Amino acid sequence: MWQERQAGKLNREIEELLVPLSDADGLCDLIKEALTQGRRGLGAEVARAKPLPLLPLVVCEAISGHYEHALPAAAALQLLMAAGDVFDDIEDADSSESLPARYGPAIAINVANTLITMGEAAITRLKARGVADCTIVRVMDVVNSYCTTACAGQHLDLSLTSKMDISEDIYVRVTGMKSASQVECACHIGALLANANQELIDIFALFGHTLGIAAQIANDIRGVTRGSDIVKHKITLPVIYALTQAEGETRNKLVIAFGQQSETVPDPTQIKDLLFSIGAIHYTTVKMESYKQRALDTLSKAEGAEVNIERLKLFLE
Amino acid sequence: MKSQALQEMIKKVFSDEKTKLQFMSNPHSVLAQFNLTEQEKKAVLNTHAKLGLATADSQQLEAALDPLTYWT
Repeated sequence: MWQERQAGKLNREIEELLVPLSDADGLCDLIKEALTQGRRGLGAEVARAKPLPLLPLVVCEAISGHYEHALPAAAALQLLMAAGDVFDDIEDADSSESLPARYGPAIAINVANTLITMGEAAITRLKARGVADCTIVRVMDVVNSYCTTACAGQHLDLSLTSKMDISEDIYVRVTGMKSASQVECACHIGALLANANQELIDIFALFGHTLGIAAQIANDIRGVTRGSDIVKHKITLPVIYALTQAEGETRNKLVIAFGQQSETVPDPTQIKDLLFSIGAIHYTTVKMESYKQRALDTLSKAEGAEVNIERLKLFLE
Repeated sequence: MKSQALQEMIKKVFSDEKTKLQFMSNPHSVLAQFNLTEQEKKAVLNTHAKLGLATADSQQLEAALDPLTYWT
């Protein structure tokens, strides 16, 4: 299967990058753990049907028919995203399985810093794959720009943590910056390394953006159905809808459940049922469907430019 | 994306039994009462075709989420 083939090559690219760390007692293992835990480039799940780590390669191949020269960039994105995951775990401090919880924040910060440095090193390996210097500089510029956007989105998200009156517009803005920017970056880089023109690069960046927002909305729904976001008092799209539309006693229950200062641990089943009953999950599902549709419509524009979009369509279906 | 009309429509469907029944049997007739964008209309109809109304956990809801679950 093409996924297994590409995942195997990405895996080898990352393993080669890790060679200089083989003497650093234990660090290499922690780096691998960070990459595997977050499904970032290493581990069996990378070869599953719709793997995010392969997206730059899939986009590059869809446009140009080749992808191997893009492998260092795909590896770089996985290393940088894994660094973000580790920092996220330190900031959230809500998982006993995370790297900082198990090894302490000092070791976790060092792992994250190493991942960032290795991500930058990975981009320079594009040179050995025959990518022109000017393109490598553009790749660095694009990656740095998206990483800055993701950090700004994370800052905004952290600043909003104590607030309940978050509008849908702000939610979409934060999601676009924090989560969708990763998918957008992967698509942008794939198109850039396929030597696509600016119009096509923009099409793929928009495809990645809308796909990323749809994916975050899907996570929000799962966060309710599994109860994980409810016990964390997390204000996600279904909750934003519910707080806007609910009245009286129903609204009071939601305010108590999602109040950040609340000491009460909400009953996930009761709140989940409430969110279903007022249409919050239905509304959120329609919004997810709408972003998926936008992603598909954007892809059809690429098809008009003679890009083979068949594999990319699979990512949405 | 502003969604006020979509929010109003879904609020009506979930709070008014008559509208809910009408939506279940003929979603187009309910859609016609609200000023939704073409994309919103399409998303409402797609969701209706896949799930009917999302009123509880279901295999259909899980299936709708599945393609996007491991993205972020």
